[in-house]
Amino acid sequence: MRVEEFMTTRLEFVDADQSVYDALEKMVDLRIRSLLVRFGGRKQDYGVITARDVVFKVLAKGMSPRDVKVSDIASKPIICIEKSTTVHEATQVMQASNIARVFVCDGEKIVGVVALLDVMTASLIMRARGEHDS
Amino acid sequence: MRSLIERLVTAFEAFREGLPTRDRNLLRRVIDYERQGDSTRREIIARVYEGAFLPYLRPNLCKFVEILDDVFGVLKETTYYLLEVSIPEQVSNDCARIAALNVRASEMLLMTYDAMLNGEDLREKTLAIRIYEKKIDDIKFGLVKDLRTIPFRDFWEGKMLSDLVSGLSDVSNIIEDASDYLQIISTSMR
Repeated sequence: MRVEEFMTTRLEFVDADQSVYDALEKMVDLRIRSLLVRFGGRKQDYGVITARDVVFKVLAKGMSPRDVKVSDIASKPIICIEKSTTVHEATQVMQASNIARVFVCDGEKIVGVVALLDVMTASLIMRARGEHDS
Repeated sequence: MRSLIERLVTAFEAFREGLPTRDRNLLRRVIDYERQGDSTRREIIARVYEGAFLPYLRPNLCKFVEILDDVFGVLKETTYYLLEVSIPEQVSNDCARIAALNVRASEMLLMTYDAMLNGEDLREKTLAIRIYEKKIDDIKFGLVKDLRTIPFRDFWEGKMLSDLVSGLSDVSNIIEDASDYLQIISTSMR
């Protein structure tokens, strides 16, 4: 099974110069655990901010999320895989990089994201179909 | 009964293929499949009551066939809407994804039926159908948000598109009900 079959295509963004509070509010409203971070400039490049970043780099340190910029805690660059990547290959990328999500790219364009839960559900479907990913 | 589910899979495939270009030939085939499904349903119900089935199985078998008929019915209605109104570009990808997931869910229903006949545990297969249904729900959530930003010519265009999207995404709920009924039949046959 390829990642394009089970990736999430709805991507949510936050600008790098916004506050962590803005990011936190968006994540809570949308019930998601990460946001793509837009760093402006001539060439659009992206980072990612996760709930883990917010909790461990800001809240756990007693800092106010209003006083910290997204760019201060976002991870960059993002790790991308091709649409045709299999579940197994995606899992290996995530394990090697110790990350809970990986972005799916079609050339320069980010077209989706695959998280641990997506990998689990894809694996369950493959089991039910009697398929084996290699 | 297997041929009825196979026909359902074929109907979903025809819908998925016909969706991007609103291919009238393919979409008319979906409506034909529904009609054929109706006929098959009547045959099955007649045989269930004529044949030597255990009495407590008969209502469950009939209920399962009725649920399949409901799936055909919603798919047919959705096809009619698609023949009347085109899908805006802003939501076309999401609609295509849901149509593809419906094909997968119906294929899994067929696998679940075969597994039931073989006396296998249905747990993994019914879970797979629930996963497909949840995935479709997630896509629908965003799709409806996008729909609200699209300007329409008039009320009826908006309504038909809304009904199309509802049918496209709600049909997976009925497939899930069908798989639950297979679980009931499987349990009652033990």
